[in-house]
Amino acid sequence: MALIKWKNKDLYDPWDDFRNLQNEINDLFNTDRSQGYTGLFDRNFSPAIDVIESENDYSVVCELPGIEKKDIDLTLASNVLTIKGSKKDDSEEKKGKYFKKETWTGSFQRTLPLPAAVNADMISADLKDGVLTVRLPKKEEAKPRSIDVKIK
Amino acid sequence: MKAEISENRKHFKACCNIFEKNGQVYLELEMPGVSKENLEMKIENDILYIHGKKTVNTDKGRFLLKEVREGDFYHEFTLDNTIDRNKIEATLSKGVATIVMGIKESEKPRKIEINSK
Repeated sequence: MALIKWKNKDLYDPWDDFRNLQNEINDLFNTDRSQGYTGLFDRNFSPAIDVIESENDYSVVCELPGIEKKDIDLTLASNVLTIKGSKKDDSEEKKGKYFKKETWTGSFQRTLPLPAAVNADMISADLKDGVLTVRLPKKEEAKPRSIDVKIK
Repeated sequence: MKAEISENRKHFKACCNIFEKNGQVYLELEMPGVSKENLEMKIENDILYIHGKKTVNTDKGRFLLKEVREGDFYHEFTLDNTIDRNKIEATLSKGVATIVMGIKESEKPRKIEINSK
């Protein structure tokens, strides 16, 4: 049985206020920070990800500029999607004098738990212009269905 | 050029690398989601303008996680006299734009011969 990772959003969670405060402070310093660094406190690189849930599927959009398909490892295990990989840089000796270096290199990993059951056979992923888009269709029983109410 | 960009979309600077190699200046800009048709580069009065429009994801649905910044990339670079305007080339691959600018021959370091009398 899979662990349920998403809490009921209507319940009051006292830590929400602290989390919101930290997110707001991160956003304050985030406005012209280069992409990839999420806030003051995180030092590891983590690529920006959007997860959109529609009725029939999930879309996961991940920004990975300059990375080849073979350097990305995408796996799904019991509703947890893991994106990991590494971004190679040509060896430093080949490049000449650097005036500015804002891009990151190295390995990264993001794990995303998905709330509803996903149909693993129909997952598709595209890498175009440095953006990875993964579509995960939901299983039939996880789609929202309306239930007719009969009145006797 | 800034006035031509519509005010509706926010724009911010792309991550850039600037380095010099083999007598040329390389400028790398990370612009994920920008394809060749949406990338515009122009030089006017010694300023290099770069504008890249991101292809907008039009999926409808509920956002569970939203970290991707919405907006286009816009950058201005001032070119000085050491860059040869005729030797500028740009390529776009995997969301990274690489601009190679040649340095003028006269500006490269030259050895000066000493004549002894």
